[in-house]
Amino acid sequence: MFKRILVPTDGSAPSRRAIKRAVQFAREQKARVHGFYVGPPWQLPVYSEYVPPEVISPKAHAAAVKKTAARYLGAVKKAARAAGVRCSVRYVLGAHPYDEIVKEARRRRCDLIAIASHGRRGISRLLLGSETSKVLAHSGIPVLVCR
Amino acid sequence: MFKNILVPIDGSPLSRRAVDCAVGLAKQQRARVTGLWVGPAWEPNLYAYGDSAPPGFVSRKQHAARVKSAGARHLRAVAKAAAAAGVRCKCTCVEGAFPYLEIINAARRHSCDLIVMASHSRRGISRLLLGSQTSKVLALADIPVLVCR
Repeated sequence: MFKRILVPTDGSAPSRRAIKRAVQFAREQKARVHGFYVGPPWQLPVYSEYVPPEVISPKAHAAAVKKTAARYLGAVKKAARAAGVRCSVRYVLGAHPYDEIVKEARRRRCDLIAIASHGRRGISRLLLGSETSKVLAHSGIPVLVCR
Repeated sequence: MFKNILVPIDGSPLSRRAVDCAVGLAKQQRARVTGLWVGPAWEPNLYAYGDSAPPGFVSRKQHAARVKSAGARHLRAVAKAAAAAGVRCKCTCVEGAFPYLEIINAARRHSCDLIVMASHSRRGISRLLLGSQTSKVLALADIPVLVCR
């Protein structure tokens, strides 16, 4: 019924649970999964007088995001390999994760987004994560919200 | 993975799409489908306690009968879709002022492991807003929710 499942992750515990569920679901559906991570964009430091020693160059930032993405998306790859599910991964830099997620779903022609009900910023069980609710609002395809 | 899929409907076109989605999924997963329709709760009429009932007054019993018949009409679509796909199906209709609570309760009562519902329905005005009941179900459910568009 579903052929390509987009699995956005931010590396948090709820999102790791969502990965597990999505991969299991994909195996039953004979679908493929596409792991996706949105890293924070590099920000121009606002110091003008002097450059503090801890300032991060765009290059170093990109390298750090790449490393983080490899770790988070590695979890998707590992779970998919263990379940025998075809898997691809990609990461981008973006200030608005929901936007990148919806765009990626369109670009990859995914027909389902499996996402955790909240990620890093979710504090309360009674609230839906901010990015999740934005994905729900903007997505043109079904969304599976995992607990 | 999923054994019992709850499909709350309100009879709107979008919720019919959710029914199709749920039945398709249930067929593939060899799961059962539980259809649910939540009717409005009976409201006591302040003026009905005098000597005579005002015109148009609906007693609790009459209200229950109406909800039941309306529910049966809406749930027929679920039963039909399930029968066409060869999926086991059970339909229930309940009364409640707060549909999201009834949906959560029904999921627990029927031990469902997935809720499939439309992103919005009758009251949805904008594509960019999630329906009020859907967002409440999403916030309160302890099982996965598949939101159909």
